[in-house]
Amino acid sequence: MCSTEQRTEEMVIASVATAKPKSRALPPTNDDSAELFARWQEERDDAAREQLLQRFMPLARSLARRYDRSSEPYEDLVQVASLGLLKALDRFDASRGPSFASFAIPNILGEVRRYFRDSGWSLHVPRGDKERALKVRDAQEAFANEHGHAPTANQLAQYLELEVEQVIDALLAIQAYESLSLDAPRPGAEEEAITYGDSVGKEDERYELIELDATVVAVLDQIPPREREILRMRFVEGLTQTQIAARVGVSQMQVSRLLRGSLDQLRALTQDREAGH
Amino acid sequence: MARLPNVRLELGNRPENVLLVRETLTGVAESVGLDGGDLSDVRTAVTEACNNVVLHAYPGGGGPLEVDVDVSPGSLTVVVRDHGVGIGARAPGRPDDVAEGGIGLPVIEALSHTVEFAETPGGGTEVRMAFATPGVRGLESTAAIPGGTGEGGGAGLEALGPSFASVTIAPVLLARAVVPRLLCVLAARAHFSTDRISDSQLLADALVAHASGAIAGSHMRLIVNVEPRDLELQVGPLITGRAEGLVLDSGLEGLGSVLEKLADGHGVSSADSHDTLTLTLRDRAQTA
Repeated sequence: MCSTEQRTEEMVIASVATAKPKSRALPPTNDDSAELFARWQEERDDAAREQLLQRFMPLARSLARRYDRSSEPYEDLVQVASLGLLKALDRFDASRGPSFASFAIPNILGEVRRYFRDSGWSLHVPRGDKERALKVRDAQEAFANEHGHAPTANQLAQYLELEVEQVIDALLAIQAYESLSLDAPRPGAEEEAITYGDSVGKEDERYELIELDATVVAVLDQIPPREREILRMRFVEGLTQTQIAARVGVSQMQVSRLLRGSLDQLRALTQDREAGH
Repeated sequence: MARLPNVRLELGNRPENVLLVRETLTGVAESVGLDGGDLSDVRTAVTEACNNVVLHAYPGGGGPLEVDVDVSPGSLTVVVRDHGVGIGARAPGRPDDVAEGGIGLPVIEALSHTVEFAETPGGGTEVRMAFATPGVRGLESTAAIPGGTGEGGGAGLEALGPSFASVTIAPVLLARAVVPRLLCVLAARAHFSTDRISDSQLLADALVAHASGAIAGSHMRLIVNVEPRDLELQVGPLITGRAEGLVLDSGLEGLGSVLEKLADGHGVSSADSHDTLTLTLRDRAQTA
């Protein structure tokens, strides 16, 4: 039977190994460290402090990397974490408490958490995330134009040299962003629309809506014309989102966002009508 | 029968499934007003606990990774459970010397309000983490449902392919935020194009919006089986005779049945006095 301690030890080694093939386990707090602590805390020996800092930097780095797979630049976080490590080195009382690492971990994490909260991270979408989302959007479009169909998340990840997980995050995040930066057609969108439209087919004259009657029109009419048109293309014509994007001159991500929004709106309107009168 | 948590995820202990857990937490945060900083703490701690199950609960093999999330006003509880290697007599203690051990547990301890370790009934480990999250709103209470989803709900999952996910969730408010996120991740895993990934989210939206009246009991359970370019969704437990209605209910006049148009097929099966709706989604566009 495997103890928790063993399990977590292996866990650390394994995760460190995946992220950074070079480094192995955490440094032990052994007699040697105790001696260094004594030299630093009793004799103010800067060389001892420096050695301790070097010894425990892998711990600080590991914590910086672990904290919510941060979208903050890794190097910035390592700085913050090492600041936490320095404070912990100064405050650690070697004569009490268990090990330095168990003292340092909450201290270092505390510093990282404070940094996140102070930098307003919790209130804003981090810039790195937003830029990545826009890159994913543009790559989606470029790929679709080149290949005539939409890419998979893996293809986007490969193309942008990101992890698949980051691409998925971007796909999810992009829907939350305000239309501001996404809504406007970008330069060149129209020419692309034409080239792409050719492969799609040009018969966009009139498609009858299914079972069109007075009440229906009342609900659907409350949706803005462009959204209504996009709904029609997707659900009546059966076009893919990428095809619709090319016709309308916005990104597929934007089509996705508009479809989600207007379907929600339609459901609410339908519900209101059923409940109301 | 024990009360069901707001969210129960039943997954295999595969590394890629940790993302489903993280996205679930993000969805929960979104719907109950969890502060972004608190969410980072919760995600980090829960990721550590899940990674532990992924890497070490089943030496030389695989097995279930179960995650329960419960929301109450001002706090969030997450339980990460496995049925593998137990932690024996050590619970609820902690390693004295983390430097010799690992940093997973100290990280969990540093980020959570309380953490308890217990043995899963029948063997395995259960890590119960409580987070003090002042901004969090409570949810309407949910009760256990006889005959529906509940204890032993994992039965039958083994019959699925190696890549599946099951989520049992209530109330609708949570499902609305969580289920589309999960389907986005699973569609990406099934190598869907971005078109169909988005369609999967639209389908999830429609499903959640229209299912509440058709669910037999409090919780919706969605089991997704992932194959390359192919997702199979089982939605239940539905009141007998309501599955077809659910598909029709998703109709928006002028557009037709949204579920029917987004899915490549659907079917209904009956067992244990309730119905299950099966929907299949494929990505045909890129079969070249």
